Amino acid sequence: MNFKKKRANTKEEIPTTAMPDIVFMLLMFFMTVTTMRDIDVLVSFKLPEAKALEKIESKRLVSYIWVGKDKRMQINDSFIKMEEIEGIMYDKKQALPEIIVSLRSDQNVDMGFITDIQQALRKAYCLRINYSAMIKV
Amino acid sequence: MLKKKQIPEATIPTASQADLAFLLLLFFLVTTTIDIDTGLGLTLPEYIPEEEQIEVKIDPSRMAAVLVNENGDVLIDGNVIPVFQIKDMLKARIASKNDLPKNKKMIVSLKTDRKTVYHVYISALDQIKLAYFEVRDEYSNLKFGKKFADLDEEKKSIVKEVVPIIISLAEPESIKNS
Repeated sequence: MNFKKKRANTKEEIPTTAMPDIVFMLLMFFMTVTTMRDIDVLVSFKLPEAKALEKIESKRLVSYIWVGKDKRMQINDSFIKMEEIEGIMYDKKQALPEIIVSLRSDQNVDMGFITDIQQALRKAYCLRINYSAMIKV
Repeated sequence: MLKKKQIPEATIPTASQADLAFLLLLFFLVTTTIDIDTGLGLTLPEYIPEEEQIEVKIDPSRMAAVLVNENGDVLIDGNVIPVFQIKDMLKARIASKNDLPKNKKMIVSLKTDRKTVYHVYISALDQIKLAYFEVRDEYSNLKFGKKFADLDEEKKSIVKEVVPIIISLAEPESIKNS
């Protein structure tokens, strides 16, 4: 008797030569849709919640101002004082005229502080702002 | 006679190429951000020094003044209401101005105290925006049978023309020494 199993004569390997190409394609996709994480956030904050949210179309236009619980402010990679905002933002506006300033502020900061920031932004002609907020469910 | 030399097989091993590519992919996943920023957009008015400011009289029927004080109480045209009712108060008034010409549309003015907490201000602003958005949705439903977000650019601009979002931030009062 013949106990040998019948097998097809074809190779039993999965071709893996195209796998790197597929992975590279994935890589390309991620490279195009994402932006580099370039700033370390040094302040701690909890964003307020809202419903009527809008998405910011282009991330490259956005410049952030962080305001922490302890009212420390951060632009780029360093802490700044209230008087410095105008100068910094004016330079940014010159470099990028369509700039959108995103204000990422803690929810318990008082409005006086926010108003002061807004006044500085107005003086720097950075008029498009966006109050960053989480979606309310 | 010269014997032809057997050429040894010359292949580059490509089995690990996929691993390398995965490593690169992981690196990009870690160093980049994919989250989309969401927030309430607003355009600030241009800065004009106090001496050069001119007062413009606005018809009171065009104007809704929303005042938020430090305790989070909201005052609209003399009535004290909770924050979440701002939307319903404003919606009817905004919608009633749909057929009027451009210079007669509703203006919502938002004013806060210096001691108002930020998240109360955000929820008030949120309510105002929601009111405008809902009026836009209702108008586009009526006219085009679709929600505002689903319209094409051309129709969007028509709706925007009919229901423009005009939110005015009141000029902050300078700090008074009392």
